[in-house]
Amino acid sequence: MRAVLASEWLKLRSVGSTGYAVGAAALTIVLGIVWTLYVVSLADARGSIRAAAPEEGFLPLVQVSLAVLGVLAITSEQADGMLRTSLAAVPRRGRLLFAKAAVVGGVTLAASAAVLIATYTISRLIAGDRALGFNDIGLLDGLPTVLASALSVAVLALVGLGLGAATRSTAAGIFSVVSLLFVLPSVAAYLPAPWNTRVASIMLPNLVPQIAGDRLSRRLGDGVLPPWAALLVLIAYGAAALLAGYLVLRRRDA
Amino acid sequence: MIELRQLTKRYGDTLAVDELSFRVEPGHVTGFLGPNGAGKSTSMRLVLGLDAPTSGQALVNGGRYADLRRPLHEVGALLDAGAVHPGRSAYNHLMCLALSNDIGARRVAQVLELVGLSGVARKKAGGFSLGMKQRLGIAAALLGDPGVLMFDEPVNGLDPDGVRWIRGLMRGLAEEGRTVLLSSHLMSEMALTADRIVIVGRGRLVADATVAELTAGYPSLEEAYMALTASSVEYGAAR
Repeated sequence: MRAVLASEWLKLRSVGSTGYAVGAAALTIVLGIVWTLYVVSLADARGSIRAAAPEEGFLPLVQVSLAVLGVLAITSEQADGMLRTSLAAVPRRGRLLFAKAAVVGGVTLAASAAVLIATYTISRLIAGDRALGFNDIGLLDGLPTVLASALSVAVLALVGLGLGAATRSTAAGIFSVVSLLFVLPSVAAYLPAPWNTRVASIMLPNLVPQIAGDRLSRRLGDGVLPPWAALLVLIAYGAAALLAGYLVLRRRDA
Repeated sequence: MIELRQLTKRYGDTLAVDELSFRVEPGHVTGFLGPNGAGKSTSMRLVLGLDAPTSGQALVNGGRYADLRRPLHEVGALLDAGAVHPGRSAYNHLMCLALSNDIGARRVAQVLELVGLSGVARKKAGGFSLGMKQRLGIAAALLGDPGVLMFDEPVNGLDPDGVRWIRGLMRGLAEEGRTVLLSSHLMSEMALTADRIVIVGRGRLVADATVAELTAGYPSLEEAYMALTASSVEYGAAR
């Protein structure tokens, strides 16, 4: 297993798309600085302001960028035929997918945690003691949300990997991830009450605030899941997608 | 040794390989011939466990490929020279495969040297010509110093110098006691390289003989091939 992990780690490092995906995610730091400077200027003019936290506002950028990394980890091999070479080297398909999942999960968790913690910390440092709304709690008190966000990114990347393996298509893999992230939650929000809150509670992007014990939104109120249940649902997303990918990878001709 | 036993593969209503049985023995180059769509590449994929047979067995060294723990040490294969990530360097491509089978960087450098790609090892494989990709694929097949080798049309895209190099390489590998299965459409080249010939048509075995036996009744291997496969070249014909 160690050998296959080393191989998959080199595979991920040795293609340009990985750098672009992490770079796009890291753009959040720059956008977060620009946003914070902007709301600081507004606050200086008006005294105080209620602004969104940059690491929450730009989280979808991190999620989509690194989910694409997860999709490409398998679909690029399927597209160019490298998968056959990979399977000739590692005939146990579950082992190959597991190694990919471990590497993709580890890399995206580390990258998203680094980007989000940097965005979070820098924005609070720039804000100083101005009241911007998002910095009204202590620096350490906001960390659970940041870490839950990072975890959601890693899970989304694994969902991308699993659905990429299941659909064997980059376009379908990315579309699936975008649907989970944007399309389904917006549909759920317009269901009649109380179903809007109930269904929205299990939507992937809404799991982050529930894990951290925050409110979903003004419209939806609190989620229905306690933090531990929200965490389980988040993990279930990744596990279900990987299982689907494994079943297809195992049964289909390469 | 490679052994096919009643190997059958059906894709939908297309019978790609039809109860194909033959053995590829070590010590000489076995040429694998047949018209396009005869089932050569499919047979090789079945041997590697990439596709699952509908029925029958494909065995390497008496066992299933899927059961090999570090398969590159036993079987090397070049199926599709284009099957590389275009953005990955030749060195990293080989290193990715090597790492998965506990093969070191020194061996990667060795095979790059052997196929003549050392000078472009750090270049992206996407920029390689077909001939260079064939050489990269051959390097990958040789990584684990395996006793069984399969090459699917490795001569395509190579310059005359490369064609001669492959001929020497194949014969050399066989003389070292390895099992070498080589497919090609170049009859004159095959006559120079192979000792035994397996011909398939429409998924079935047409001939399994030595080059000498095949050419005994015909002016050349090409004439023998044409005569033997005359009824097998219609694509998608009713079966």
